[in-house]
Amino acid sequence: MNGPLIVQSDKTLLLEVDHEQADACRRAIAPFAELERAPEHIHTYRVTPLGLWNARAAGHDAEQVVDALVEYSRYPVPHALLVDVAETMARYGRLTLSKHPTHGLVLTTTDRPVLEEILRSRKIQPLVGNRIDPDTVAVHPSERGQIKQTLLKLGWPAEDLAGYVDGEAHRIDLDESGWALRPYQKQAVEGFWHGGSGVVVLPCGAGKTLVGAGAMAQAKATTLILVTNTVSARQWKHELVRRTTLTEDEIGEYSGTKKEIRPVTIATYQVLTTKRKGIYPHLELFDSRDWGLVVYDEVHLLPAPVFKFTADLQARRRLGLTATLVREDGRESDVFSLIGPKRFDAPWKEIEAQGYIAPADCVEVRVNLSDSERLAYATAEQEEKYRFCATTATKRRVTEQLVHKHAGQQILVIGQYIDQLDELGEHLEAPVIKGETPNAQREKLFDAFRSGEISVLVVSKVANFSIDLPEATIAIQVSGTFGSRQEEAQRLGRVLRPKADGHKAHFYSVVARDTIDQDFAAHRQRFLAEQGYAYRIVDADELLAGEDPVH
Amino acid sequence: MPEGSGGSPRTLAEALRARDDEELAALLRARPDLLSPVPNDVTQLATRAGTRASVVRALERLDRFALQTAEALAVATDPAPYGELLALMTGDDRDATTEAALPQALETLRRQALVWGGDDRLRLVRTARELLAPSPTRPSPTGLGPTVTEATAGMSPGRLQEILAVAGLPTTHDPVSAVAALTSLFTDRTRMAALLDTAPSDALAVLDRLVWGPPYGEVTADPTPPVRWLRDRGLLLPASARTVVLPREVALHLRAGRAHRTPEPVPPAVVPAAEHRPQIVDSTAAGQAFTALTTVEDLLKDWHEGGPAVLRAGGLAVRDLKRTAAALDTSEQLAAFWLELAYSAGLLATDGEADERYAPTPAYDEWLELPPAERWGELAVAWLTATRTPGLVGSQDAKGRTLSALGPELDRSVAAEVRHRVLKLAAGLPHGAAPDPETLLARLRWERPLRGDTAGTGKDLRARVATWTLSEAELLGVTGRGALSTHGRALLDGEPVDGDGDAHADGDALADRRARAVKALAPLLPEPLDHVLLQADLTAVAPGPLERPLAETLAVLADVESKGGATVYRFTPASVRRALDAGKAASDLHTFLVTHSRTPVPQPLSYLIDDVARRHGHLRIGAASAYVRCDDDAVLGEILADKRSHGLGLRRLAPTVLAAQADPGALLEGLRAMGYAPAAESAEGDVLITRAHARRTPPRTAPSPVPEGPPVPDRTLLGAAVKAIRAGDMAATVARKPAAEQVGPRPGELPRTTSAETLATVQAAALTGSALWIGYVNAEGTASQRVIAPVRVEGGFVTAYDHTADEVRTYPLHRITGVAELADDAT
Repeated sequence: MNGPLIVQSDKTLLLEVDHEQADACRRAIAPFAELERAPEHIHTYRVTPLGLWNARAAGHDAEQVVDALVEYSRYPVPHALLVDVAETMARYGRLTLSKHPTHGLVLTTTDRPVLEEILRSRKIQPLVGNRIDPDTVAVHPSERGQIKQTLLKLGWPAEDLAGYVDGEAHRIDLDESGWALRPYQKQAVEGFWHGGSGVVVLPCGAGKTLVGAGAMAQAKATTLILVTNTVSARQWKHELVRRTTLTEDEIGEYSGTKKEIRPVTIATYQVLTTKRKGIYPHLELFDSRDWGLVVYDEVHLLPAPVFKFTADLQARRRLGLTATLVREDGRESDVFSLIGPKRFDAPWKEIEAQGYIAPADCVEVRVNLSDSERLAYATAEQEEKYRFCATTATKRRVTEQLVHKHAGQQILVIGQYIDQLDELGEHLEAPVIKGETPNAQREKLFDAFRSGEISVLVVSKVANFSIDLPEATIAIQVSGTFGSRQEEAQRLGRVLRPKADGHKAHFYSVVARDTIDQDFAAHRQRFLAEQGYAYRIVDADELLAGEDPVH
Repeated sequence: MPEGSGGSPRTLAEALRARDDEELAALLRARPDLLSPVPNDVTQLATRAGTRASVVRALERLDRFALQTAEALAVATDPAPYGELLALMTGDDRDATTEAALPQALETLRRQALVWGGDDRLRLVRTARELLAPSPTRPSPTGLGPTVTEATAGMSPGRLQEILAVAGLPTTHDPVSAVAALTSLFTDRTRMAALLDTAPSDALAVLDRLVWGPPYGEVTADPTPPVRWLRDRGLLLPASARTVVLPREVALHLRAGRAHRTPEPVPPAVVPAAEHRPQIVDSTAAGQAFTALTTVEDLLKDWHEGGPAVLRAGGLAVRDLKRTAAALDTSEQLAAFWLELAYSAGLLATDGEADERYAPTPAYDEWLELPPAERWGELAVAWLTATRTPGLVGSQDAKGRTLSALGPELDRSVAAEVRHRVLKLAAGLPHGAAPDPETLLARLRWERPLRGDTAGTGKDLRARVATWTLSEAELLGVTGRGALSTHGRALLDGEPVDGDGDAHADGDALADRRARAVKALAPLLPEPLDHVLLQADLTAVAPGPLERPLAETLAVLADVESKGGATVYRFTPASVRRALDAGKAASDLHTFLVTHSRTPVPQPLSYLIDDVARRHGHLRIGAASAYVRCDDDAVLGEILADKRSHGLGLRRLAPTVLAAQADPGALLEGLRAMGYAPAAESAEGDVLITRAHARRTPPRTAPSPVPEGPPVPDRTLLGAAVKAIRAGDMAATVARKPAAEQVGPRPGELPRTTSAETLATVQAAALTGSALWIGYVNAEGTASQRVIAPVRVEGGFVTAYDHTADEVRTYPLHRITGVAELADDAT
């Protein structure tokens, strides 16, 4: 026994990546184990009930899971864990959701006590209708998502055999002239289509939009695309026109300014969640056409009302796209049960190794507060503390120094606080893009940045998502939304698009030492560190002293 | 059994005397209770072997077939020839398996001195016969009733003759020959068959109901025709006014001669439930063995600086058990198992202090130093021989008290024997086969049928212990995936699988077997590693068990995040600070990581250590009783240099500040004595001015006046008092007879009589229904006098109508100090 896998008693699996069998092992355990951490030597996977049930849904049985564990394990696998795997997987499929010719959607069971048990749950009672026979109960069609989610929480996941509606057909093809879907993008599209609905996780810059386009070309049906903001909507449109047979006229934009409904409609989360007089007037969009596919961009940001509505959309195919499935509100499992399980996932480093995203050097610059700042920080109100240390004057000097060092390259300075950004913009003589900047102005500045007319751009968090800045090679983060891990990942994503000359990207995070800024930074970096993007830490003093500790 | 040429032995003593030494030794080995104390002679040995307690004990240790044989002998004639026994066991159709097994079973009974006499005159020891033979109150396990002779005892001769007549037999002169005639009819298969052929079919149905016992049936005063038909022919005989019994001879005829419905001459086989590759079994068991070691270590490490308190009644509080279970990340039942295991192995004990707590023993430290396989050997042997049964933890004893882990009530003498037997049976299967628990339990039941079902628990203790043994063996790594491992087998070697089951092997052999098991296990356990893998996300992964010093240092420097085959450690600022607190310098930590990491130390980790070290010890804290402050640091230098200041424990903290161990008062005195003129400072830094202080108590209320005498009683209290006085009055003033040869007690004093007198008087009073005057001391020790009229005296209690309390009460006899009869005119 000298396998690459170590099975821990807490149901995590440790995979030694340098082992010769590591690849085979990874393939064997991927169907049922979630990749949790992927640092340089040992990857951590976790076996969860959800993962095991997804494996069952994908046609794997307990024996395959046990075999995979036993075959690759370095040490004997605890018997209790194997028993637990078998028992957990046996819970799947006792309940099935299906279409009954006369009663519509029904929940049937092969194990009557289970049905009795769940029907006694107060959470299930409002979702079901009449008992048709001892083993069957009717389900309100609109509660299909809700009942699946609730059953999952009760530990009796239902197998959904009710299928999908095809939606209104619409011809969409990929226009692969001069480019082609990358292998992992193809796998992602296949994984999604085979599974019916689900989430595809790819690093920023790895071409998630193309996975969306690929899925649309598979579905060949009217599509609703939900994105985070208007700029992003325009870019989706641009990209779809460029990469598919769709024309401008076939693609509608549904946002604060335009309300077009076309065979392919791109809507923003913001407009959908606008509330007037206690109702969401724009949620009707979901019913305005017979959509064959709904794409959720940046699914980790999916707002709560859309969640609720998604639960009612269970009969339509759903594709979620994201770079990080960590949600700061801990509702990852809701994404899984409402959109669907994770259908494709690749470690960032692996895609980097294939050359599809740029290698990045992450550096945390530790800034010392001056004595007077330290005193002021110590006496600051609790809620003001982060703002205070995140916007310290020393950070400005360090940022200037970094911009100076990388002069001539395309640099993004990203921050949270407008005052700080304005000040930085002034000192760096660079334009600032913030929430109040009109869309036209934004696009103008982005174009200028793209063409190299301007080389430094200061942006607030409006630019966190889905803006396409192909040649940004340096990002300097001066402040952020507290300890948000996914924001950190998104920001790193800004510089990961492959560079024309293949050189390395740099991501700087300027952090005030011995303050909560440092604690937040540690939390923010954790996701990336677990993806293998470890930060080097340098002292600002050395940087300012003109030494070059970065290289 | 040697046949005495001068005829068969007449008594058990004679039979024993005729045995050779080896046979006697075999008897004593099988029934060791006969040896304490050592009997003086064979007569005494025979007497003791015939005592009820000893016979019961011996019967309980018989397997099912030997017991069935004994039961058959109990319903046979006494003495019985071998042929009769054989017929009873095999029936008319002569079951070959039973016939083949019978001599062996008989031999067992003879060896145990339960049966004696030659094959022509087999005798079951009288006590055993009494225990096993049917009586009206206790049906025989065979389901057979009394013989015709026994059942007709006391029947009128006329009635007997009537039966003979109806049964078609000639009348006889006397009852004895009548019974003999009836018996010979019932035992004659041919005539009996002819008789039953004439029986109405519903009469046969009645017989069918009774044939396999219980043989008694209730009848009305006017029985139904089929019962009457049977009764008229003696096929049913009256047992009492309302019951009839099926005579043994009739039942045997209906059973085709068999005493047992299903003789079980062959032990039920233990069947494999699953078969695995022996390598898989061994490696799984070894993995579990290793887990067991780490679990016990974790447990005791948790209690390193003193464990939880011992309950007053002994054992561990439920709360502490829960906490331990949470710390081990397991269930309470399993936590109890690990605790008991450590306790049985002597690694854990109470500290014997006044405030008693649990703590690891010195043996634990020695144990820790052993190689892993040896450590396992210690645990395994302790488990195998222990009588502690952790499975009972949490259940309740007969008095409804919950049994606590490590408590005094957990020893069950049967545990070690059953545990050994279960493993032994598992060892009887081929290597790699896991026994099916049900068949295993069936086999255990066959081996000790009488030691089963103990009151109401549903499952008897032996079966429960056996079930626990299977799961505990798995936890301990004696078995892997249910099958006995090579090292588990080695623990048991040396005894035949079908040994008589006494697990008390001598120490030497056990040590040998332990050594063999350890040797088998050692190569299967993972080798301790001397390196870890450091990763940039501030984790370290030990891909296997670590060498102890490495593991200990790492456990201080980083937090354990996940355990199992490997260990994942996470470095945090807090964990690094812990290492610095433990006296390590930052450079030590760097060296430690470089030495033990197989991968380069990631920059963030080095930075983390330096960053924490930079701030570590930045603030210093100590205790001082007083300080000296002076703007002129030369004066402070002077004071420090002065020899007279040494007793004040002065230390310079800063140029202008000294800290002192002496309290402010002593410091002032000391410095004044040295010729300085110090002034005391208040906590706010003001100079304190000495002047006389007025001393005050905390706020107090003025005392309330104390009136003379008690408060005036209220109406209720008065009523109750009067009633009590009246009752006492009656008890004290009734005239009573002086007790025999004793001056009656003075009024107001309790009567005193000896217990024999008390009993006699009370019994007499119960018979005559007369009232008595008694002195009584209740459970709280309060003495009272009462007038009672005894109703019943039994079991040390008197039930009586109490005139004083005006109700029926029960008094324990031993609490009655004495009795006196009431004078006649008082009642």
